[in-house]
This record gives sequence, C-alpha cells and structure tokens, in this order.
Amino acid sequence: MAGILKPPGAFTVTPHKVSICILIQVYAPPTQISVPFPFSSVSHHNRLGLFLFALSKSCDGIFEPKLDELIGQLKELGDFLNDWLIDHLTRRLSSLASPDDLFNFFNDLRGILGGSESHVMDDDQIMLDPSSNLGLFVRRCLLSFNLLPFEGVCHLLTNIGAYCKESFSSCPYELSHIEDCANEAESSMEYENMELESLVFDKVSKEFEAQKKANDSFAFHNHAPKAIIGFIEDISSGSKVKEFDRLREGSSCIPSSSYSQRIIDPQVGSFLRTNWQIQGNLLDQADAIERHGSSFSLNAFESILKQLQKLAPELHRVHFLRYLNSLHHDDYPVALENLHRYFDYSAGTEGIDFGPPSSGCNSFGRYEVALLCLGMMHFHFGHPKQALEVLTEAVRVSQQHSDDACLAYTLAAICNLLSEVGISRMTGIIGSACSSVVNMRTSLSIQQQLFVLLRRSLKRAEGLKLKRLVASNHVAMAKFELTHVQRPLSYFGPKGPMKLRTCPINVCKELRLSSRLIHEFCDESSIMNTDGLLCTMWLKNLKKPIGSVIFSQENESRRNLDTFQFCSQPNSLPGSVVQLLGTSALVRATAWEIYGSASLARISTLAFAACFADSSSSADAALAYAKLIQHLAVFKGHKEAFAALKIAEEKFLCVSKSRVHLVKLQLLHERALHRGDLKFAQRICNEFGALASSVSGVDMELKTEASLRHARTLLAANQFNQAAAVTNSLFGMCYKYNMQVENATVLLLLAEIHKRSGNAALGIPYALASLSFCQSFNLDLLKASATLTLADLWLSLGSNHSKRALALLHSAFPMILGHGGLELSARAYITETKCYLADPSFSVSEDPEVVLEPLKRASEALELLEYHELAVEAFYFLAIVYDKLGYLEEREKAAALFKVHIMALENPEEKEDSLSTML
Amino acid sequence: MASKETCRQELRTAIRQLSDRCLYSASRWAAEQLVGIEQDPAKYTPSHTRFQRGSSSIRRRFRTDGAGDAAAAFNSTPVAGVSFISTPLASEEENDAVESDFYLLAKSYFDCREYRRAAHVLREQTSKKAVFLRCYALYLAGEKRKEEETMELEGPLGKSDAVNKELISLERELSGLRKCGTIDSFCLFLYGLVLKEKGNEGLARVVLVESVNNYPWNWSAWSELQSLCTTVEILNGLHLVNHWMKDFFLANAYQELRLHNESLAKYEYIQGTFSFSNYVQAQIAKAQYSLREFEQVEVIFEELLRNDPHRVEDMDMYSNVLYAKECFSALSYLAHRVFLTDKYRPESCCIIGNYYSLKGQHEKSVMYFRRALKLNKNYLSAWTLMGHEYVEMKNTPAAVDAYRRAVDINPCDYRAWYGLGQTYEMMGMPFYALHYFKKSVFLQPNDSRLWIAMAQCYKSEELHMPEEAIKCFKRAVNCNDREAIALHQLAKLHRELDRFEEAAFYYKKDLERMEAEEREGPNMVEALSFLARYCKDQKRFEEAEVYCTRLLDYTGPEKEEAKSLLRGIRSARDVELFPP
Repeated sequence: MAGILKPPGAFTVTPHKVSICILIQVYAPPTQISVPFPFSSVSHHNRLGLFLFALSKSCDGIFEPKLDELIGQLKELGDFLNDWLIDHLTRRLSSLASPDDLFNFFNDLRGILGGSESHVMDDDQIMLDPSSNLGLFVRRCLLSFNLLPFEGVCHLLTNIGAYCKESFSSCPYELSHIEDCANEAESSMEYENMELESLVFDKVSKEFEAQKKANDSFAFHNHAPKAIIGFIEDISSGSKVKEFDRLREGSSCIPSSSYSQRIIDPQVGSFLRTNWQIQGNLLDQADAIERHGSSFSLNAFESILKQLQKLAPELHRVHFLRYLNSLHHDDYPVALENLHRYFDYSAGTEGIDFGPPSSGCNSFGRYEVALLCLGMMHFHFGHPKQALEVLTEAVRVSQQHSDDACLAYTLAAICNLLSEVGISRMTGIIGSACSSVVNMRTSLSIQQQLFVLLRRSLKRAEGLKLKRLVASNHVAMAKFELTHVQRPLSYFGPKGPMKLRTCPINVCKELRLSSRLIHEFCDESSIMNTDGLLCTMWLKNLKKPIGSVIFSQENESRRNLDTFQFCSQPNSLPGSVVQLLGTSALVRATAWEIYGSASLARISTLAFAACFADSSSSADAALAYAKLIQHLAVFKGHKEAFAALKIAEEKFLCVSKSRVHLVKLQLLHERALHRGDLKFAQRICNEFGALASSVSGVDMELKTEASLRHARTLLAANQFNQAAAVTNSLFGMCYKYNMQVENATVLLLLAEIHKRSGNAALGIPYALASLSFCQSFNLDLLKASATLTLADLWLSLGSNHSKRALALLHSAFPMILGHGGLELSARAYITETKCYLADPSFSVSEDPEVVLEPLKRASEALELLEYHELAVEAFYFLAIVYDKLGYLEEREKAAALFKVHIMALENPEEKEDSLSTML
Repeated sequence: MASKETCRQELRTAIRQLSDRCLYSASRWAAEQLVGIEQDPAKYTPSHTRFQRGSSSIRRRFRTDGAGDAAAAFNSTPVAGVSFISTPLASEEENDAVESDFYLLAKSYFDCREYRRAAHVLREQTSKKAVFLRCYALYLAGEKRKEEETMELEGPLGKSDAVNKELISLERELSGLRKCGTIDSFCLFLYGLVLKEKGNEGLARVVLVESVNNYPWNWSAWSELQSLCTTVEILNGLHLVNHWMKDFFLANAYQELRLHNESLAKYEYIQGTFSFSNYVQAQIAKAQYSLREFEQVEVIFEELLRNDPHRVEDMDMYSNVLYAKECFSALSYLAHRVFLTDKYRPESCCIIGNYYSLKGQHEKSVMYFRRALKLNKNYLSAWTLMGHEYVEMKNTPAAVDAYRRAVDINPCDYRAWYGLGQTYEMMGMPFYALHYFKKSVFLQPNDSRLWIAMAQCYKSEELHMPEEAIKCFKRAVNCNDREAIALHQLAKLHRELDRFEEAAFYYKKDLERMEAEEREGPNMVEALSFLARYCKDQKRFEEAEVYCTRLLDYTGPEKEEAKSLLRGIRSARDVELFPP
C-alpha cells in the first residue's frame, strides 16, 4: 500500500526451512555426548554445521531448492552417513501428516535451543546458542510458525506434502501411473501457454498439439505426448543452458540449468527465499549484468524477474534489475519505463545503499537518486544534452533536500559525462544551473569547469567518507590530468601566464591514492552481501568434483579458465572495490602508453589481466586485451597479433563498437596500409566512420581515430591535397573540443604529408610544433618519432643538412630503440643509413658495418611487418651498398628480395588471404 | 434495429434461460434492458408510461444538439439491420423428471453459494444445462477459494496472486466438449472465461465470439469479449454476426478504446429503441463525462437517481462531477444515500472520499479511498483520487506510489500520468516530470490542460526552454483551451523572446477572446498596454490611440502610462503631419 514500507526482514516458514530445521535437530540433538550419534568425528559434525549455515545464507536463485535438490546437495557433502541423513530427513518429512504433528515438531525444536544465562550450562551437553546464526534461524522459524494462523498451518502442511511428493515422483523407480497422467495433463496445459522463442519449437509444438488432440479423446495411458514434451523441454532447457554456459564460462551452469527448469516448471510448489537472500541474489545479478554487458542473457533473466514480480509484487527492486537488464541490452524504451516505475514505487529509498541511510533519508523520498540514474542512462545511450539537463536537475534537487551523498555522486557523474563527451560550448548549460556549486563565471572553458567540478566532487566525497567515490574520483582525476593541460587555478582567463604542461607526477599520485581503497573498503561495504556470496560459493564448490568431470571433455582453454576462476573464488573483497582497483590499473597502463613506456604499459596491463580480469566489467577486460594485442602488433608483427585476436574474439562478444572489434579493425587497417592494399584500407576506414554516433560531441575518440586513419590512407595513396584537407579539419575539431594530445599526433601527420609531397620546408614548422606539444605533454615516444620526421625533413632539404639530421636522430635513438615498435625502429635505421650515405665525407668502403648493420635490422623488422614500401627502400640501399663493396652474392640476394617486395607492392590484391574476409 | 416487440420477446425468453443457469448478472442486465424498451403509447395508458419514466423532457432537451444528428446519420446506415438469429429456443428444456430434480437441488445449493455441493449433485448428469451449471459452480468455487487464498498467502513481499485451482481441469473438460461439438454457447462462455484467466487471450476471443454468435443475449460474454479487445484492430478483426446486441457491445468497446464520440453516437442510436434503459443512460453519461460535458452528465444523473434511487453503480462518476462543481450539499446527499444503500461497495467509499476531499479533510478522505481499494484493489479511479489527496497532504512519495499503481493497472489512464507529472513538478523536477506529461498527452492529445501543464514545465525557471513551451501552448490553443491561459502565455513568451509581431498577434487574439467572454482583469490591462505601445512603435497611431483610450478606463500606473503614450502619439503625429 502506498507510503508504507514493509519491514525488510520478514520471514515465512516453508517446507525447505522445515527441512533445514530437521537437519539442525540432527546437528544439535539434546544429548550429552561430545560427538552425537550419527557422526563419526568432530570434523563430520562441523561439516554439517557449515553446510547448514551456508544453506541458510546462500543466495543463488530466487527460489528455495526443492527436496531432491537438497538431497543432491547432501549427497555431495561426501560422507558415508549422508544416506542416513537423507533417510532421516525424508522419514521425518513424510511423518508430518496433520497440523498437530507440525505443532509437536516445532515444540521439540525449541528444546535444542540453549537457555538464557540463568540456566546452568552443562559442559557436555550440545546446545545451540540462541544468538548464533543457526540459533537465530531456528528462533525465526519458531516465531513465524507461532504467528501463523490455522489456515497458514494447513497451507504449510499441504505444501510439505507437495514438496515430498514432487521429489518422490521424480525418482524413476517410484513412478506411479495415475499421478503421471495427472502431471502429464497439467504440464501439457502449462505448456500450451508458453511463448516459445524459436520457430523450431513452434513447429514441434504444433505437431505435439495435433498429437495431443488426437490423444485426448482416447485412453489416458498413451505415453507418446509425454515423450514429445520431454523432447521439447530438452531442447529449450538445453539451449538456455548453452546460453548461460557461454556467459558464465561453465563455472556455474548448475544453477543455470535449474533456472531453466524452473522456467518450465509450473510455479506451484516453489517458494521464494527470504527477502534478504533475494536481495543478495539480485545484487549479485546486477553485478553480473554489469560485468558481462550485452552478453548477459536478456530473456532468461527477464523471465525470472517476471516470476519474481508475480510472487512478490511489493519487491520493487525487480524493476530496477529489469532496467539494468534492458539498459545493457540497449533497449531504450523499456529501460526508461522501468527506471521510472522503480523510482515511483520505491521513492529511491529501497535497496540503494549509498552512505548511511540516516544522512539523506527524509520523508520526501530520495527522488534525486532517480534523476541521477536517469542522467546516467541518457549518458549510456549517448544523449549528452538530456543527460546534462537531468544531472543539473539532480544537483538542484539534492541541494534542496541537502542530500550530500547524492550530490557527490551526481557531481562525479557530471565529471564523467564531461570528460567522455566533447561539448564545445557550455555557456548556459551547466553554468547557470550549477552556479551555486561551481561558483565560477560561465566564461570558463569546459575543461576548466570540469577540473573545478572534479575537485569539488572529490572534496565532498572525502568529507562524506564515501571511500569508493573518493577512489573513483581519484581515477577520474588521473584521467583528466593525463590528457589535459594543467593550469594554476588562480590564473584563469586568457591573459594569465600560460604554463602548458601535463604533470605525470600528479597522475601517479592520483592513481596511488585511488588504490588505497583496498585498505579501507571494509567500512563501507555491505557485509551482508559478501556473506551470502561466500555461502553461495561454498555450496557451488561442493559440486566441483562432479562438474570437472564434465568439463574435462571440453577443450583445454576452457578448463584452464575454470581453474583460474576456481582459484580466485574465495575472495572476500566486494566486487565493486576490485573493479575500481582494476580500472585504476588500466588507467595506469594507459598513462604509460601515452608517456611512451611500452614495457611499463604492458606490465600494468598484464597485472590487470592477472588480478582483476575476472571481477571487472567486460568492457574493462576487453580494453586490457586490446592493449595487449596492440602491443603484440607493434612489437611482434601482425601474425602474432592476429593469433591473439582470435583468442580475444572467443572470449568476448564481438559486437559493433566493442573494444575487440575496434582492435580488429585497427590491425586490419595497419596491415592493409603496410601491404599497400589501399582499397581494403579505405573500406576499413569507412567502417570506422560508421561506428561513431552521428551526434556531435559523442564518440570523440572514435571520430578522431577514423579521420586520422582516413588521412593516412589518403597519404599512402599519394592524394596529398585530400589528406591535408582531412587532417586540417581534424585539427580544427580537436582544437574545438580541446583535445591537445591528439593535436600533437595530427601535427605530426601534417608534417609527414608535407614531407611526402616534397615540401620539406613547409613540413618543418609542423614537425617543430608537434615536437613542442610532445614536450609539454610529456609524450616521449611521440616526441621521438617527431624527431625522426624532423630529421627526415632536414635530410630531404639537401645533403648539406645530413649532419644536423644525424645529430637529431641520434638524440632520439635511445627512446626509439627502447620503446618504439618494429616500424619506428626500421624507419629510424633507414633514415640513419640515408644520412650516412648522403654525407659526402662518408665512404662506404671504409666502414661498411655502420650502414650494413642498421639496414639488415630494418629489413628484418619490415619483413615481419610485411611493410612492402619501406622494405623496398631498405633492400634497395642494401643492394647498392653490397654493390659498392663488391659482395656480388649478397647483392643478388638483396636485389631478389627487392624484386619480391616491389612486385607485392604493385599488385596488392594478388596475394589475397583469409584476413580480408574477417570483416 | 429489430422491432421493439421482437427485442422484448427475445429478452423475456433470454432472462428466463439465463437465470435458470444462474448467470444472474447477465439476466439482470437483460431485465434492465427489457424494461427499458419504450412502450407503445397506443397500447398503454399514459399513467403506465409515467410509471416507467418520470420526466423525459430534460433528456430530450439535450438530445437535440450534435450527438442527435450523429444518431440520425447512424439510423440511415444499415449497421445491424437484420438479425440472423431468431428468438432463443425454448424447447430444449429436458423432460427427464429425475434429472431436473437433481438440477433443482443443485441450483438451490448454488443459490445458497454452496458451489461445491452443487457441483457434486450434478456429477453424473449429462444434459448440457447440467454440465454447464456443474462447471460454472466449480469455477466459482475455485474463484472463492482463490480470493481466500490471496488473503491467507500474503507474504512479506506483498500478496501474490493465487490461482484458481479448478481452471486446469475445467479447461480440459471444456476443450474436450468443444472438440466433440457437444458444447453449447453457455459452456463456450465459461470456456472463454477460463482461457482468459489462463492468459490464452487469442483462443479466448475466438471462443467468446463463437458463444455470442450462437447466443447473443448473454451480456457477460459480451463484456468478457470487450475486455479482450484492447486495440481497435482487434475489435475490427472480430467476426460478429449482426444482431442488435452487437450495438451494445460496440458502443461499450468504443468507450473503452476512448473513441468517445463514436461511442456516444452508438448509444444515441440504441436509445431509439431502449429509450428508458438506465444502463444506456448511464453509459451516455460516462461518454459525456469523458468529453468533459459536466452539465449534461449532471442532468442525466439527476434523472437516473430519480428513477432508480438505490443505484450505486457509476455513481462515483456523478460524485466526481459534483466535486468538480463544488456542490457540497448535493454531494453529501448522494454520499448519505449510497451509504444507506450499501456502504461496502467501492463506489460508495469513493463517493464518501470525494465528499471529505471537498471538505478539505484529506486524511479521512484517504481512509475511505483505502477502504474502496481494500474492497477492490484494481479500482482505478480510487488510486488516482487517492493520489490527488496525497498531493494535497504534501505526501509526495505516497502520491507517486498511488498514481503509479493506477498506471500499472491501466496504462491508458491519462489522469494518473498527469498526476505523476504534476507531483514531480511540485518537487522541483520539471525535466523528470516531462516524461509523464508526454505520456498523458500521448493518450489524450485533445486536452488543453495537459498541453498547458507540459508547457509550464518547459517554461519553468529551471529548464527554461521557451521554444518547446511555445509549441505546447500552441497545441493547447488548438485544443479549445477553456481557461484561456495558453493565448496569454504565448503572447508573453513571444514578448520575452523579443518577437513583437507574434506577441502582438497573440495579445490581440487574447483580447478578442476576453471581449467575447466579457472577462476583465490584469491580463486585459497587460494586453492593452502592450498593444498600445506596439502600435505606436509601428506608427499605427490610430490603433494605438484606441488601445490607449481603453486603457484609460483602468486605474493604476497603466493609466498614467496611457496618458503619456497618448501625448507621445499626438506629438509624433504632429511631426508626421508637419515635418519640421
């Protein structure tokens, strides 16, 4: 009813709970022996206790297990006395035949509880401590049984009957014909109403309809339709299991198969777990949705939610989960609808545990949380304008209701939005609405506003002790510092002294601060959920031995993965904390990448993959894989990179815009450029362009990359004018959206274009500009390659500049050889040779190794890369040098290779291979 | 439409058959219509007709306008001209004495609401009538148990809907009967009911159509069918045999699909034959209410109450009208009357709730709405009205919750969507509120109030999106905005955006409208002073002078302004006439 929230912990007695109570009675009988009757040792005894504890807490699935499932779990406990336990349990359950039996049972149950302090405790006697977990459980059962009206007791009795009967009838040797007929008819009825997903099912079901129709008018003992039902159920459950399998990598297919069976089962006889357990399960599922993204099965989970909603209409959290589910499957209308529904019902107070509830909870509800979520949803769907509008409203409302926690989160969300989405002009959007927060003039640039917002949000989060938010703010700050120019706050405005530099030290500091979270998380985490998760894991691990038998038939990689997951399972850190740490590791890798340390970037990525991959979101994991693949491509050539890509494609769903897909396109493009297959390269460029959203300001990274690659393709095709035009417009865009780091690259490309078009004199200023950008942003590797280009440019101005070029080149050599990839070092070697050869004072015959060594290395690297154009150059020089030296045999070899490459360059499409079909 | 006499004959037989099968609400409906057929004045004395109807003069007064024409147009088209089904057969009554004895016993048990006993008595009987009654009794027994179980099984997370345990066996039996072809139309009706409850709506529709085509006098079957027609396409896809009962069905279905004008026309047409039917009158009132013709609704209800003083059905709508018109005493009288008739009807609770709300006693009002909802938790208007009460009490979360429940029961309830929007706007979340206003406007695009509410949202200080606000106000103007807010707002907005031409246009329109409706007030002054200044700037001095002189009628600063304007105009004119 409106406005009245039920207490969250309400508890009802169900047959499953009665079973647990029976087992607890076995566990703690009122006897006086230290190891009670059926147990042979203390460890046996303890194991049952642990099992019972886990049963009462675990939160896999929303339904309580049925009797046969419970029996199955008991069997897996792996003791010889399980048979006795099972027998005892079933006997006790079936002996409950009248309401009076139930009353007596619960009366006896009271006996196993230890008394209060006044009682004299006997040392030998086993007593259940009333305040222990199991004791609490028993007490709650007793209480709720005592509260039951007579009708409730009757219901419990019939339910226990059904609970037992179901399990017995599922045993093959106890199949009774009469019951079977009834069941058959029932299930066929149920079956008729089900919506089937695929046509195949439809067809089969039609056949089955026909059969059934024919069958109905005849005798009841015909078993043909039953077989068909079984067949169909097999198909449907099988397909669902497969779906789940893919998503959970097989580790948890056991609960998933029980899900799918439940979907088919009539809902009669299944009972919801306690509210606490369901909430835990939903939280777990929410994590899973986020982690797996679009590979999470939409429909299977949706049908579970539907059932849950039917059974517990007042559990509004279901709507939120439904929202999450549709959000991650990009279903905008459904997500919007469910988000609104959830907050309409719950007023933002149910289930969201940010901060202590007392701080922000008031009688007006917390609708600002709704705004926050709505804003994030719009952001997710790529509607930056609406998102900003909603978030500013959230800021306003949370200020009104002085909900500081929500305000901190909202500010963080706005920061996230601003840093991800390029909005060129912001005057009036955020300036007006957030003026009280920002308290700045609206003339500030977006970057400056973002910086101010980040600082405010961080401070607020620190003040409120929202540890996770602090950590994620630090990460955001690090990201910001990574790519944006730092200016002292007091000198805002165009006239202030400009100190255009990025500060790697700050980035490092922020990242370090963010990873401090791991020491502090325990204050904030909701312990209840971790508890439940651990219990779920424990129960699942019971099943491991059986599971591994099945998995061993499958391929190697799958099994490795399993063991990997198995090792990392007993992890008491909350998932969100691990996820944040993972993100910070990834940002660290990105930082190293930008600053130009390839090896450190690789190590950070590997650290991420080793420690955080299984608990981070699929997007993060894909990013890490992408980084590693790129690294391989740069240092080991395309062949290895494509091999790695294949593995990544198996692991991640390769939908459009996913990281793995992007990396694939990048690799294909590079390779096509190297091999001179320009048509294919252009096709990939177009593909890139199509991936980006058409809304301006969204997907900036993708758009930059697309036009950068487009320009490079044009350059390779010697279309200098067009290439320059594309690059210039790209420069304009980057300037507009304040993307300075990208501008360094763009300038370098412009220099390259001028160099190739033969206007070396025009190219030099661009190269110098790029160089100075690199210097102020600490982009060391890019700086080295800019130096290389500059050297090239000087060299092409005439041989009298060769000394200067050589000096430049040698200054960049340590960086290039230390961190540059194959292509860069090959280019450097060739340029070095050219410098020597152009120098009139240099004579080959005097010191042949000075040129021969670099040329050999360059040609090796270029062969690995299949970079025909440069390889032609390298072999040409090699042949000439050999000729000069009089090494005829080597000369012929080099000349032959020269011919091979030049032929390949001229007919790029001739050696077509499987890779171009990868698109 | 069939002649009155055939209708009468058909209904008389049908009532007997229906009540013999314990389909009481259908037989009640049929009986109401039977009495509602206009008597031939030639045969009966005037006193007799007066007994039938008090004063039909008021009703006639309202039948002359618009809708009447539509009805006339309908008469000319042969929609349901010839009925293909003759009078219900009366000959099928079984003669077996023993069997009919059992039937009588079962029926008495049934009448005493001992459904399982009734079913048990008929367990061996094979006549169609007995089979139907047995199945029906079982169905009702299951329903009764279901209700009880729903109460018993209320868990910590709310009530889960219990299922009628008899449905499965009933469906099996009835589908078997249908396959053998030994099913009669009453069993078909029951089969449809069972199918609908099980969620198999497609087949349910087919079966119900079969039932009403065979036996059109069972109103319960028609209304079940109507509840399954959720879109116009579905409705048009039904293969219904022509019969005068079809008109009742169509009229009702149109109403539920919010085609109020079509529905009204249909009812007016039906009224040609069933001119004294309370049911038809109440339905017309309902349609008029949806068209917001409160005056007419009030008149109709007054008459209805005169003829049928103990009527509770639909009276909540009357109370809404009285509420809107703020008739304290009439509302209290109505509340008293229904309270005495049957206080445990959701409608009665709703009426009392409305009364308290009008009195400003919102807590009490909420209590009565709650009671109504306890009696029927899917009672749509009670949820919405309760939402309104909570808004008054400033309990926004509860209001939002109540509105949301209404919307989840019927997603087409534009009032609840509107309420949600309003509540969020009140909380200072105009952007969030827009979502709800959009929903309500989508459902009711011809309601100017909704457009104005949406425009106000856009206009609000926080959002400040004047372009969108202007668009909404324009829609409101096109929808016959009664309170004339939109024109004024449009003018104001245009003025704020410095589009003086448009502003002048709308001020002028507003002025014309105010003149037509003889309204005065600050808006008038504002319009006049703007127009005066605007015309002066445009050098249309004569027009400006007219506005200025009109302004002189008002007191306040505008008067002084007008004076100085006049002076300015004169000097400007002088300059024009005698250039220096």
